[in-house]
Amino acid sequence: MSRRRRQTVAVLFGGRSVEHDVSIVTGQQIMRAFPAERYDVAPVYITRDGRWLTGEPLRELDNFTDDGVAQLDGVRACLLSPDTRHHGLIIQPLAGRFRKSEVKRVDVCFPALHGTHGEDGSVQGLFELADIPYVGCATLGSALSNDKIVTKVVLRGAGISVLDDFAFTREEWLARPDELLAGIQRAFDFPLFVKPATLGSSIGIGRADSPELLRASIDIAANFDRRVLVEPALADGIEINCSVMGFGSACQASTLEQPLSWDAFLSYEDKYLRGGEGMKSADRLVPAPISPSLTKRIQETSVAAFRAVDGRGIARVDYLVRPERDEIYLNEINSMPGSLAFYLWREDGFSASDLVERLTQLAIEAHVEKRRNIYEYQTSLVDLAARRGAKSGKGKA
Amino acid sequence: MLELLQLAPALIWLAGAWARVYRLARFYQIEEYMNRRFLRWQAASWRRLIPPRSATAWLAGWAMAWLAAADSSSAGLSLALSAAALIAVYPPRAGEIKRGLVLTDRLKRMLAASTLLCGLALVALLILGERVPAFARQPGMSASAGALVFLLAPLWLVAGNFLAQPVEETLRRRYLRQAAATLGRIDPTVIGITGSYGKTTTKHFLREIMSARYQTYATPQSYNTLMGISLAINRDLAEDYRTEYFISEMGAYVEGEIARICQLTPPDIAIVTEVGPQHLERFGSLENVKRAKYELIKSLGRDGVAVLNWDNPYIREMAAAGHPGRIIAVSRQLSLDEAREQGVDWLASEMEPSLRGLRFRATHLPTGESALLETPVLGAHNASNLLLCIAAARHEGVAMRDIVGRVRGLQPAESRLALSTTASGVTIINDAYSANPQGIVSALQTLGMNRAGGRLLITPGMIELGELQETENRRLGKLAAQHATDIILVGAAQTKPILEGIQSASFDMRRARVVDSLSEAVDWYRENLSAGDAVLFLNDLPDTY
Repeated sequence: MSRRRRQTVAVLFGGRSVEHDVSIVTGQQIMRAFPAERYDVAPVYITRDGRWLTGEPLRELDNFTDDGVAQLDGVRACLLSPDTRHHGLIIQPLAGRFRKSEVKRVDVCFPALHGTHGEDGSVQGLFELADIPYVGCATLGSALSNDKIVTKVVLRGAGISVLDDFAFTREEWLARPDELLAGIQRAFDFPLFVKPATLGSSIGIGRADSPELLRASIDIAANFDRRVLVEPALADGIEINCSVMGFGSACQASTLEQPLSWDAFLSYEDKYLRGGEGMKSADRLVPAPISPSLTKRIQETSVAAFRAVDGRGIARVDYLVRPERDEIYLNEINSMPGSLAFYLWREDGFSASDLVERLTQLAIEAHVEKRRNIYEYQTSLVDLAARRGAKSGKGKA
Repeated sequence: MLELLQLAPALIWLAGAWARVYRLARFYQIEEYMNRRFLRWQAASWRRLIPPRSATAWLAGWAMAWLAAADSSSAGLSLALSAAALIAVYPPRAGEIKRGLVLTDRLKRMLAASTLLCGLALVALLILGERVPAFARQPGMSASAGALVFLLAPLWLVAGNFLAQPVEETLRRRYLRQAAATLGRIDPTVIGITGSYGKTTTKHFLREIMSARYQTYATPQSYNTLMGISLAINRDLAEDYRTEYFISEMGAYVEGEIARICQLTPPDIAIVTEVGPQHLERFGSLENVKRAKYELIKSLGRDGVAVLNWDNPYIREMAAAGHPGRIIAVSRQLSLDEAREQGVDWLASEMEPSLRGLRFRATHLPTGESALLETPVLGAHNASNLLLCIAAARHEGVAMRDIVGRVRGLQPAESRLALSTTASGVTIINDAYSANPQGIVSALQTLGMNRAGGRLLITPGMIELGELQETENRRLGKLAAQHATDIILVGAAQTKPILEGIQSASFDMRRARVVDSLSEAVDWYRENLSAGDAVLFLNDLPDTY
């Protein structure tokens, strides 16, 4: 490179999602990890109700303790333009009649968003329209892995073992709950897990040991999502997580972890806030105390699953494992894991800076790969249609 | 009433002068508003300077007026003079027009000034005619004044241009400032390309190759002057924040021009394609050409990179002259050992030019990275152009496999050794744009590759080569005799050295003919060529030749 200009990375966090607060924490961690000498970080905070804001104060976690962040000095409304020529943010002017809105060029977008509107392919669609490289899975991989029901369908097709499930919609549940309850109990024995199809971070998930608890859990889950699934809970299973990073044929799996609060099931606060320093200090065993052969199998399965859902960038793949029976069941794929699974990659020699830089690099590589596609194809269709009098409605496509 | 009738002949002449100014503007534009070149073109032919029909009509009118002197104010005389004026100024039939007038804003301002000047000049002459006793009330005085205004039409054009200068200068400055601000805001990496020839082709190739990885903008067509590049920036780059690379073709007809362009678009990478006797007429000497192109290398910053065609001796001299940045040298002519010895970075080998395209291997000597490239682009000389692009693109981090893919999909720039086949099966090789001593060798070799049938060359020869023009054209003739089976030369005067060259190569002179216009040549080939034959259109001269 003859002249490498500093890359501008827009880190998006917050978002219209129940995981809004987790995303703020992840976003702050990511912004801190970028080395200032090579990267110019533009924070983009999406409020709970979907306003887009940018400005330096958004880089301070303390500024988010109350809801007044939008009123802070230096915080301005912005939007990510889908017009490819802007290639970045349009930032609204501060007060003043003669000020013009300005365009801030963005080299890479880094969505630190969890759950709906961030991890489900919707914001990725905007990046695609804007033609800006972005970190993490593309629209398909995000949307797919965000949905637990469809993920299982795809993974079964790829020969990866997953637990059986019983899926239904909220509409069906409201119309004939007893019929569904009977069906579930015919299919599985207690204990069971009830999950909304698309939420992460354990939100809306309930464990049921009895028909009464099952009914209550489904009621809760159906509040969070239109689609619900019920799975058997493996009483003798342990939870094992593995992160995957890469693009295409060059993917690698991380060291494994075993989250420790399995027996009492992690509550939301447990999972993210124990110790007050985010996810890093949640109780876990790293590396997970399982045999090398099982570890290897889980790592290989993780990469295969990542590729099966057209993953790219990073993901964390969660399993239920019965070590003594040598059984593994892939549970879910998180296309934007909390804290980027820093704590796992650290074990493999990646510092937080290494990780965000690698992910930024992967985003650019993926974008270069996309450039190999042809998007402009000259046809004379419009001329032809115009000549044939398409205006008068006589033309036929 | 009679007064008005007496003025009529002058007004007709004036209208004629206006029309002539407008007609001449096209040629003035082709000569890029350079007064000396334009006036020299005017003066080159008497018929052009003083149109014979106009002169005759004026003389006839004047004689009539003289004979009718006794009754100098009669309406009849005025009518006769008006008729003579009408005959004189009636526009001549336009010849072959290859490039029509482009009504730019600048030209409009200039034409307005010229039109105004014509009018003012006539009024001044008429007043003068009234005041000076020797002329006053002379028969045909007003008609003669009008005729003079008509005769001086080329001067009004030049004077109009001169008059509009201050306005142009102000607009120019504002425009340049705007372009500089735009470029600063978008802040792309700038790649400057210069050379006597091969610039546009190389720019076109490089844009395609760089686009494999980066959002790349290249100045369109031949926008290679300071104002052309500013125009491109202001028009295309202003709102385009995604642009990562800006490729700017820098042309020069005078020393200092490239330095000025570099001030506007400071290059991070400089590519020099070829230096040779192109536009020598305007530069004066090859030494000046060299100095002009060196300005690009000189403008590089400390961490700048110059990508140079090492096969060109003038460019090697430039490199020796010192430079602030790093040098990447490419060659397609040296052997591996020679290349190593001279520190060449990229070497082309295993060259296989054919009628279907070009194959060669590009090797990066310092690392040994190597790739076999295939392209539908014709002509061995394009291996040099491609090698320059490959060197620059690899330096900027474009992957070799992307380069290979892009090179395979390249199309020749329009009218630059482009191959097509007509419905009747005749292969047309179009190299109509600015032929040069390097390019013609490739072009003729390409023609020579057609073994399926006849090989026709149509060319008006090369121009603007200054003192080398005769020698180079004679060489063209000899080469043509080697590769072509039929030759049509367009225009007798400037193709004389070619004809001599052909003769000296003992070519069957019955198969060589000289015609007056391109359309005659085209007619001939339409009638005489059939499937399997190939025709090469080599160079296309501006209308001023």
